[in-house]
Amino acid sequence: MEENGNNSDLNNTMKFSVKPEDEVNEAHRVLADVYEALKEKGYNPINQLVGYLLSGDPAYITSYKDARIVIRSIERDELLEELVRVYLYRELEGNR
Amino acid sequence: MSEKLLITGKQTIKGRVKVNGAKNAAVAILPAALLTEGQGVISNLPRITDIHMLVEILSALGADISFNKEGSLVVNSAGVNRFDPPPQLVNRLRASYYLMGSLLGRFKQVEIPMPGGCDLGPRPIDQHIKGFSALGAQVEMERGMVILKAKKLTGAHIYLDVISVGATINIMLAAVLAEGKTVIENVAREPEIVDVANFLNAMGAHVVGAGTDVIKIQGVKELGGVEHNVIPDRIEAGTFMIAAAATGGEAVIEEVIPKHLDSIIAKLREVGKELEVGPDWIKVMANNPFYPLDLKTFPYPGFPTDLQPPVMVLLTMAPGLSFITENVFERRFRHVDELCKMGAKIKLEGRTAIIEGGHELTGASVQAGDLRGGAAFIIAGLISEGETYLDGLEHIDRGYERIEERFSGLGVKLQRITSEKP
Repeated sequence: MEENGNNSDLNNTMKFSVKPEDEVNEAHRVLADVYEALKEKGYNPINQLVGYLLSGDPAYITSYKDARIVIRSIERDELLEELVRVYLYRELEGNR
Repeated sequence: MSEKLLITGKQTIKGRVKVNGAKNAAVAILPAALLTEGQGVISNLPRITDIHMLVEILSALGADISFNKEGSLVVNSAGVNRFDPPPQLVNRLRASYYLMGSLLGRFKQVEIPMPGGCDLGPRPIDQHIKGFSALGAQVEMERGMVILKAKKLTGAHIYLDVISVGATINIMLAAVLAEGKTVIENVAREPEIVDVANFLNAMGAHVVGAGTDVIKIQGVKELGGVEHNVIPDRIEAGTFMIAAAATGGEAVIEEVIPKHLDSIIAKLREVGKELEVGPDWIKVMANNPFYPLDLKTFPYPGFPTDLQPPVMVLLTMAPGLSFITENVFERRFRHVDELCKMGAKIKLEGRTAIIEGGHELTGASVQAGDLRGGAAFIIAGLISEGETYLDGLEHIDRGYERIEERFSGLGVKLQRITSEKP
């Protein structure tokens, strides 16, 4: 068994390294960046993000560090899905 | 001394412009700064006469106000000791009614004349008063004055009979320091309300739901200092977009929140214009098809009433019949007579204007009767044959900062002429 990425014979069995889903999740990155920007500007990140998710109005998100642009790089339903997924996994599945 | 704007016709817009902070948010945020003894630092404020007047009013009440070196307004309201804003200023500024909510909220008393502002038909403040009463204020209205007093304000459940931006914000201002929980239903959803809620929350208030049709406020004992950047003015952005489209020009409108301009983008596309929408900019492409439209104004997220006069000018370029129904302000067709003087063919039937487009406008001497009507005449002057002289600039200066300079950045020349004659 060999790691991929070398010039080995493709007929051999290979082992692929796959990053954990969280690390490559776009929603996760967006939320992290926006959270930091809101916190640095003195806003309550939870209130502001809840406001955005409820209303869809980007005015909830500061323009600092381009957070207002970053939040719009992903659909609101995808952000919500990430939040619900992580919560359910951590609070329900994780405790079983 | 009187001022006029000379607009030379047949000019085409080409260039880029950064949008200023939203007037309709800023005029509520300044009064909201009275709610705290802490310091408010407000950036991206438009330098318009409405803001200058508010600064004068707040200073007269005892607030200490200055601009810092970054150009942000620094408001310190610790020394406020008067609750009767000067009538001569209040009468000129409709938005001064937000002082009712903020002074009532912090000091539990206010005495203020009934609000002035643009004459757009009846704009009663009964929904504001309904909210203040529900929170426990005693209301007296006599000799054109509104007197509000309360021993204490207590959270309440308030249903607005009419969707009103002013009432929504004013009740929010009064409720943030009230005891207990306030729920306001059937509220307006305008982005400027969200911006005011952001400002209040950054001071330590607990306002949830702004931008939806229900706002919930958990009262807090006191509010602290705040730094806040006002959101971009969607009406100013829309004015530039419509001006570019009407002149067949090309413009990039920068530092906007495109989501706030969805209805304008949609209508300009229906008219035949090509637009490119970026993360915080919008480009109106130079092309010249004009198709007629059926357009109705509505509260946000509908097409804004403030852009109805400018879009009416655009529709004079579209061969065929266009229809504009004004659903928000009863008397917002005062620009129609003046546009007809310039050769527009517009008929009014109740709340609907029927525009027979495709007839060239010609320059004339016209009078701005209100802020957005004034903006419409500038666009009309740009597309018409000959020269247009626009009077009533005091209305335009209320909402657009150095309008001639802004348009000069877009490659067109507007000349402000000062004359001795009144």
